[in-house]
Amino acid sequence: MELSLSRVDYLQVGVTSQKTMKLLPASGRKATQKVVIGDHDGVVTCFGIKKGEAVSVFKTLPGQRITRLELGGAVNTPQEKIFVAAGSEVRGFTKRGKQFLSFETNLTENIKAMHISGADLFLCASYIYNHYCDCKDQHYYLSGDKINDVLCLPVEKLSCIIPVLACQDRVLRVLQGSDLLYEMEVSGPPSALALNSGNGGDSGEEVLYGTSDGKIGLIQVLHASPVEKWKIGNEKKRGGILCMDNFDILGDGVKQLLVGRDDGMLEVYNFDSANDPVLRYDHALSESVTSIQGGCVGKDGYDEILASTYSGWVTGLTTEPIHRECGSGEDLKVSQEMQNKISSLRSELEHLQIKVLQEREKYQESSQSSTAISAVPIFNVNDKFTLSKDDASYSLILEVQTAIDNVLVQSDVPIDLLDVDKNSAVVSFSDCDSEPNSNYLLATYRCQANTTRLELKIRSIEGQYGTLQAYVTPRIQPKTCQVRQYQIKPLSLHQRTHCIDPDRPVNTLTLKGQFSFAEIHSWVVFCLPEVPEKTPVGESVTFYFKNTFLDTQLECTYRKGEGFFKSDNISTISILKDVLSKEATKRKINLNISYDINEVSVNHTLKLIHPKLEYQLMLAKKVQLIDALKELQVHEGNIDFLIPEYRCILEEADHLLEEYKKQPAHLERLYGMITDLFIDKFKFKGTNVKTKVPLLLEILDSYDQNALLAFFDASA
Amino acid sequence: MLVPVFTLKLSHKILPRMVALGKYDGTHPCLAAATQAGKIFIHNPHSRGQHITANRLAQSGQDSDISLLNINQAVSCLTAGVLNPELGYDSLLVGTQTNLFAYDVHNNTDLFYREENGANAIVLGMLGDVSSPLAIIGGNCSLQGFDCKGEELFWTVTGDNVRSLALCDFDGDGKKELLVGSEDFDIRVFKEDEIVAEMSETETITALSSMYGSRFGYALSNGTVGVYDKTARYWMIKSKNHAMSIHAFDLNSDGVCELITGWSNGKVDARSDRTGEVIFKDNFASSIAGVVEGDYRMDGNTQLICCSVDGEVRGYLPGSQELKGNLMDTNAEQDLIRELSQKKQNLLLELRNYEENTKVELSTQVNEVDGERGVIPANTQLQTALSVNLGSDSQSAHVELCISTSNDTLIRAVLIFAEGIFEGESHVVHPSPRNLSGHIQVPLTPPKDVPVDLHIEAFFHVFELTRQLPRFSMYALSSPVSAPEPLSYVNFTISERVQRVVMWLNQSFLLPDDTRIQSAPFQVCFTSLRDAGQLCIKIKPSGEISVCTDDIDLAGDIIQSMASFLAIEDLQVEADFPAYFEELRKALIKVDDSHTMCQKLTADMADHSNLIRSMLVRAEDSRLMGDMKNMKKRYMELYDLNRDLLTGYKIRCTNHTELLNNLKAVNQAIQRAGRLRVGKPKAQVIAACRDAIRNDNINMLFRIMRVGTASS
Repeated sequence: MELSLSRVDYLQVGVTSQKTMKLLPASGRKATQKVVIGDHDGVVTCFGIKKGEAVSVFKTLPGQRITRLELGGAVNTPQEKIFVAAGSEVRGFTKRGKQFLSFETNLTENIKAMHISGADLFLCASYIYNHYCDCKDQHYYLSGDKINDVLCLPVEKLSCIIPVLACQDRVLRVLQGSDLLYEMEVSGPPSALALNSGNGGDSGEEVLYGTSDGKIGLIQVLHASPVEKWKIGNEKKRGGILCMDNFDILGDGVKQLLVGRDDGMLEVYNFDSANDPVLRYDHALSESVTSIQGGCVGKDGYDEILASTYSGWVTGLTTEPIHRECGSGEDLKVSQEMQNKISSLRSELEHLQIKVLQEREKYQESSQSSTAISAVPIFNVNDKFTLSKDDASYSLILEVQTAIDNVLVQSDVPIDLLDVDKNSAVVSFSDCDSEPNSNYLLATYRCQANTTRLELKIRSIEGQYGTLQAYVTPRIQPKTCQVRQYQIKPLSLHQRTHCIDPDRPVNTLTLKGQFSFAEIHSWVVFCLPEVPEKTPVGESVTFYFKNTFLDTQLECTYRKGEGFFKSDNISTISILKDVLSKEATKRKINLNISYDINEVSVNHTLKLIHPKLEYQLMLAKKVQLIDALKELQVHEGNIDFLIPEYRCILEEADHLLEEYKKQPAHLERLYGMITDLFIDKFKFKGTNVKTKVPLLLEILDSYDQNALLAFFDASA
Repeated sequence: MLVPVFTLKLSHKILPRMVALGKYDGTHPCLAAATQAGKIFIHNPHSRGQHITANRLAQSGQDSDISLLNINQAVSCLTAGVLNPELGYDSLLVGTQTNLFAYDVHNNTDLFYREENGANAIVLGMLGDVSSPLAIIGGNCSLQGFDCKGEELFWTVTGDNVRSLALCDFDGDGKKELLVGSEDFDIRVFKEDEIVAEMSETETITALSSMYGSRFGYALSNGTVGVYDKTARYWMIKSKNHAMSIHAFDLNSDGVCELITGWSNGKVDARSDRTGEVIFKDNFASSIAGVVEGDYRMDGNTQLICCSVDGEVRGYLPGSQELKGNLMDTNAEQDLIRELSQKKQNLLLELRNYEENTKVELSTQVNEVDGERGVIPANTQLQTALSVNLGSDSQSAHVELCISTSNDTLIRAVLIFAEGIFEGESHVVHPSPRNLSGHIQVPLTPPKDVPVDLHIEAFFHVFELTRQLPRFSMYALSSPVSAPEPLSYVNFTISERVQRVVMWLNQSFLLPDDTRIQSAPFQVCFTSLRDAGQLCIKIKPSGEISVCTDDIDLAGDIIQSMASFLAIEDLQVEADFPAYFEELRKALIKVDDSHTMCQKLTADMADHSNLIRSMLVRAEDSRLMGDMKNMKKRYMELYDLNRDLLTGYKIRCTNHTELLNNLKAVNQAIQRAGRLRVGKPKAQVIAACRDAIRNDNINMLFRIMRVGTASS
């Protein structure tokens, strides 16, 4: 059955956070559900749809930014009490808008995630998890990295409380009381959790997770260890997951999986006979989908998917067909409703316009006076700066509630800006003067009208570190801009992982000196991405990293007074050595740096690079031949006369070209890293081999693994 | 929603912009497109099976409905249409870098074949008062029109290499004018051989398309497309992709053509001619090669046909009346509500900004300036000043834009948007945090003498302002005695008051504030910041003006700018550019040399090929007779000869490039001589120059360039 949904925009509120919209259960005779949504202005809006128009049920006064909204109620009764988290406070409203709860928690930070089950309240600030029962403190847990989401397996099914935390360090942590039961590594930083089918499945143990790099998985949380049921990759390179829900929109008796992503994609997955998910439907909204839920809102009898977006739009994708033919009576009525809606909006606009004009004049007048001042108006910028594993590049996503006029990107380290298909802005690069203004990149993105979301791709070089700044100017009066800063770390292409291969030959860097645990931790944070800023609890800590480009690894173990860094890549050690000694000197700390270099590791790394290099070289060669072969094909009319190898290239031409396009400058990057490896190997020996680099490049041009290995050995 | 009515997957690549649709037998429309290896393929879905294989035409081995046409040269332009009205069917016209030929596909014969100096663009149709259809090609600065017999009925020159052509009734007189887009960023309108209008754009004009009446669409190589009505631009949009092909087609059946654009990223969109609003879009897997229209299904309806470089062809029928122009998968009312709602949200936000501002104002009056929020005095103003900087040892001379705040407020960054004077469209100045100040100097070096609007934004509080850079900003005022006066000059007389000329001077040059010019006679001198060339403008009380400069382009620019400012319609001048004329004379001699050389080389080649034939026969004879020694010798000779031929070919190539360059120089000289005059005298000069060249009368040519007429 083909799923065809039509889009209806209901209402716009303020900017919304992740998971802040819910549908209230249908009550009484009415089948349509009410929508409740909380925004950054702190307003909770509850509305229903009557004759296609949004009719407000209640609206609270503005307050602190609402970060989560959940429904609750006594177990086994309709969940129709509304709970919102704003600042460090949790407020509760009845479905009529009466506030019955105002719970000021003892948390010092703002609440990031919330889950409610009966009288149990689960709250998470950045690193802290807290469990309250009837607003009384029960349990507490301090997580190793930021907590993105929390939920608790259904109590009514399991009769014990098992909370699950989604943590930034790619781990789901399952708790029992105040203690960690076990943790489970997932493929990306988990950003959203949901109970499968809304109730954890038949066993009540099934949890859906979505990651910020766009992957989704289902796990069964058993008492001793988790079981992974299925996983959806992210081949189409879509955005990160912000919200999930299960709802039977197809009406076939099985609940489908609804997914909202931060690039505006809204997806519906169906399950095949083997219970594996299959993408059935997708729809592109222009901005982040912050919440999603299936239900019946617009019209009795027609199910729909309701989604809220970053700038506060509540949009429905309804199964109700929208007729366009003229003549039939009902449609005329529909368009009549539409007309009313439009005209009321228009008059509202006119009112506003007059008011704005007055204010604008006042503002202009104030600019004449010498005592008046002007402050930068505030607007929300939703940004995300993440390393994508597939092509070892960073993606920077900027989202503003109004249209962006232009974005100025400045960097004080050499980086490359890559073209992104989704990005329609006109980019223009400006000449840079690295001295005296230390600009290595100055580029402007002038956005097309109505662009609220901009995606950039950035390629960094390991060892070159500094700051990337983005000046975002939206199209709003009075004109203003905001600067966002992003650190390009020295080991920018490394990613946290939880297990490494212990058998590799490693080089070790040892640090000893009069430094505290917090100090050395701050150095590690400075050097490596994805490390929590907070100093870990305990005496010592170990982090594992993986180089996304070369697959080499790094192990960092440190405590007060000493630190060990082990990597099979000599360049990684070299960069760490340079940066750490520089940082220590800056703080006037006397560091004793020693290193243990394993010669075998260089050859090992070269062997790791070998398959990648060979593949890239073959690809480049094949792509070069495609055009010529195609010409031959046209000339001769067939390809029977070609040798099988060439015929194969022709058959795979499209695929090869696509592959080639996907990884621009891949070969150059590999060459660069091999050169670094070469220089670093001899740097540790105290010899400068920069003069031999041209020779190395010559060897790379006519690549042969043995020749390269021999060159590395011989140059000693 | 509009969906394609047919989709074809042709197995041939299509070169960008090389697509034409014609009824080569008078009834069946066929698609012709240039493909790799110097071939053109013709897709004829209507008559399968039959076919001749002769002359140029060959049946494709793979598909029965595709025939291939061998050109053996890279095709540079392609069109189809009625060239000979008596034939009753369309001809195919193919231009390459050296030739133009008209081809009768139906009878598989050549209509004519001409050696020309490159055809970058081609258009077919009626031009002005010329009675028969013309195939007009644009080459290296030249424009030529041929009738069906290959006779040249139209010839003129233009400023630079032509990249696009279109025919359009520009002035509404019922006759078509020729629109020419060239590499010097200008769109020129030719009423036969007289230029009636010139529009300056910011990049090479890669495509032009007549829409209706005096309205036409254009595309630039930097991703801009837009619509002009006469000389006024209606709208333009800029994309990061490149427009490969534009075409006018009424897709929503409202009686007015939309501008259909095929983009390099495979997108096709239709935009309203009035607003530029997208009314329809579709996506292809690869870049678009061409957009044409025709009744490809032969059912009486014209379709819009889009072709991608990978050979995918889609046809769209115009939307029916019921769709009410709603071609996209959205609901117009929903969109309207969304738009209004967005507006409301923006206004609310603005309102809140003002409220916040007053709040901050109240609070900070107590506790001084709050650094966090970035509060600045409201009366802060951004001041800009343009001046000429003569440069120093470390910096070359440039125009300097000075941006400063009226108080101590710091400028975090300056962003200037201006087309045509920077490498991209913008320039950024971002001082490091240590060097922040309220004062920033931006060096500007516009490469061309055109007025430019600078759109300046300064952060942190965003100040926006627009400033115009005068046309001749790259010339610094200098004292008259400092350098020897240039030998070249242009003299002319105007009947305007001197004050008006002074006004023009003030507007077009960056004069220091203390420059005061009261009355005639006076003299002003400038030095170019680009090459330190001198420019001297003298005005006598009689209204006689002389412009002295060695740069003929600059002289032309000054006269054109002055004429448009003073609204002079016709202006005859007397000019002399001894150095330039000497160069031109050399170029003309070189053209002659190249021609002779070319003939000699062609003769040599003919000799060689005769020799090869006989040598091959002799070598094979030796082989048959078993005389291996002789055979070897003959083949060695053959090899040597072959090498000679190759060298000969290389010489021919270089000779040809040289010839092209020199011809371009000659064409440009004529164009420049024209630019020194305004109105009728301009057209006369160009026509007279052409006659002089035709008659090979070089002295006459120089005389015309000097005084403007052939007769004494």
